[in-house]
Amino acid sequence: MSVSPDALHWEAGGTSRIPFAVYTDEQRHQRELERIFYQGHWCYVGLEAEIPNAGDFKRTVVGERSVIMTRAADGQIHVVENVCAHRGMRFCRKRHGNATEFVCPYHQWSYQPDGTLQGVPFRRGVRQDGKVNGGMPADFNPKDHGLTRLKVAVRGGVVFASFDHDVESLEDYMGPTILQYFDRLFNGRKLTILGYNRQRIPGNWKLMQENIKDPYHPGLLHTWFVTFGLWRADNRSELRMDAHHRHAAMVSTRGSMGQASGQAAHVTQVSSFKESMQLEDPRFLDIVPEPWWQLEDKTPTAVMTTLFPSVIFQQQVNSVSTRHIQPDGHGAFDFVWTHFGFEDDTPEMTQRRLRQANLFGPAGFVSADDGEVIEFSQQAFESKPQHRALAELGGREVGETDHMVTETLIRGMYEYWRKVMEAPEKCDGGAA
Amino acid sequence: MSNWTDVAAEADLFEGAGIPVSPGGRDIALFAVEGEVFATDNLCTHGNARLCDGFVEGHEIECPFHQGRFDLRTGEATLPPCTQPIKVWPVKVEGGRVFLSLG
Repeated sequence: MSVSPDALHWEAGGTSRIPFAVYTDEQRHQRELERIFYQGHWCYVGLEAEIPNAGDFKRTVVGERSVIMTRAADGQIHVVENVCAHRGMRFCRKRHGNATEFVCPYHQWSYQPDGTLQGVPFRRGVRQDGKVNGGMPADFNPKDHGLTRLKVAVRGGVVFASFDHDVESLEDYMGPTILQYFDRLFNGRKLTILGYNRQRIPGNWKLMQENIKDPYHPGLLHTWFVTFGLWRADNRSELRMDAHHRHAAMVSTRGSMGQASGQAAHVTQVSSFKESMQLEDPRFLDIVPEPWWQLEDKTPTAVMTTLFPSVIFQQQVNSVSTRHIQPDGHGAFDFVWTHFGFEDDTPEMTQRRLRQANLFGPAGFVSADDGEVIEFSQQAFESKPQHRALAELGGREVGETDHMVTETLIRGMYEYWRKVMEAPEKCDGGAA
Repeated sequence: MSNWTDVAAEADLFEGAGIPVSPGGRDIALFAVEGEVFATDNLCTHGNARLCDGFVEGHEIECPFHQGRFDLRTGEATLPPCTQPIKVWPVKVEGGRVFLSLG
């Protein structure tokens, strides 16, 4: 498909003034899918721990295409497209399951977990009165008609896939800066799945990336954070990016390794900015520092990593999760949270992670706010697409910082986005 | 002592595929291979296909749905996606009639 949306007007030349039209145009959205989700990029598909046994599978998406992450009999992980090679049907309906094969219900074509076509009903025709009728042509070779297989990369128990088999390695894709934050969280310990949250957010998918590249809002929008002392704009912090400025890490360190000090610590371990406000159940913030938090000479208490385009890795004190962005048209996306823990967690730590997960997800004390502001932003964008948003806090340039009072990461993401979206049309037939 | 049931005329059989018979409501397929007769359960243990509609290759029957195979002599599954054996039945041919021991 070749689509050339009208050129956007970037006021002031750079990316500090973002045209509303980047969020409102369906043609531009199709181009994003082609250029960002289906070519040259890695997308998150899940955690190995979601499919621990041979035959386990999970249905998910890359961009807007339905894919299945499978574990074959030999333990190998595969990602195949959920499109029957015969008539194109999206055959797998279950979200999770275990199967030795996939059978399309329409004509019962069957596939192995790695996508190999196994059986074609009446391939050799049907006998009637001593004569064989129909069947596939003699030169029909099942090897040529498997499911579309994606390139797969697994690191630290996290599974990524790409329709583009020429994509660079996952490590090069992340780059050394982001890789060290990724490896800090996914440091080789086996993961355990604690549960999921799913929500539909009626806004453009990029707004969720921007939300987690925006350290300006947490202390202002999320009054819960401020009230109970989890986020302060003057926390020790850094904003880091890969060389392309597409990925980022917001790194912050709360005083005393996440634990409150002084009098409040004796009561709730939380120092409240409104001292009179107390949590009915202080265990929501029963924070216990963990050894893996340390990275070189620093011990961040929160690292929010945005991996462009499809995923956010969250560590907010003891709560760890992946957040999968699943676009559905230019004006909506599904947001799927996978809360996890580690195999060596004590039962108390598992309880603690589960309790702290109450801050997140569609009804989370904190995250409920983000879904709403994205929805309301999208509403305004649709009403005047010729207008633009401002992202000029901290200047108009792009660069890493040792503070949070800047929108540099958003400017960085659009710098990369413009490079990809404004590149001349290649003979991009739309990938496999 | 076996109890033999007359299920078909030998002349109804032909090489290359099977014919269905249903003694006592059972669904059984008969196959002729190089003049010898074999009987198996007709329903494939993998999908809902009838093996009598399949294709005989040597002493194997290839299922018409997913191209898995069974050995007609033992019932053993010899090619995926079939993994579970099919039941085979004792056969004798006498006076142009095919008898099964359904005991």
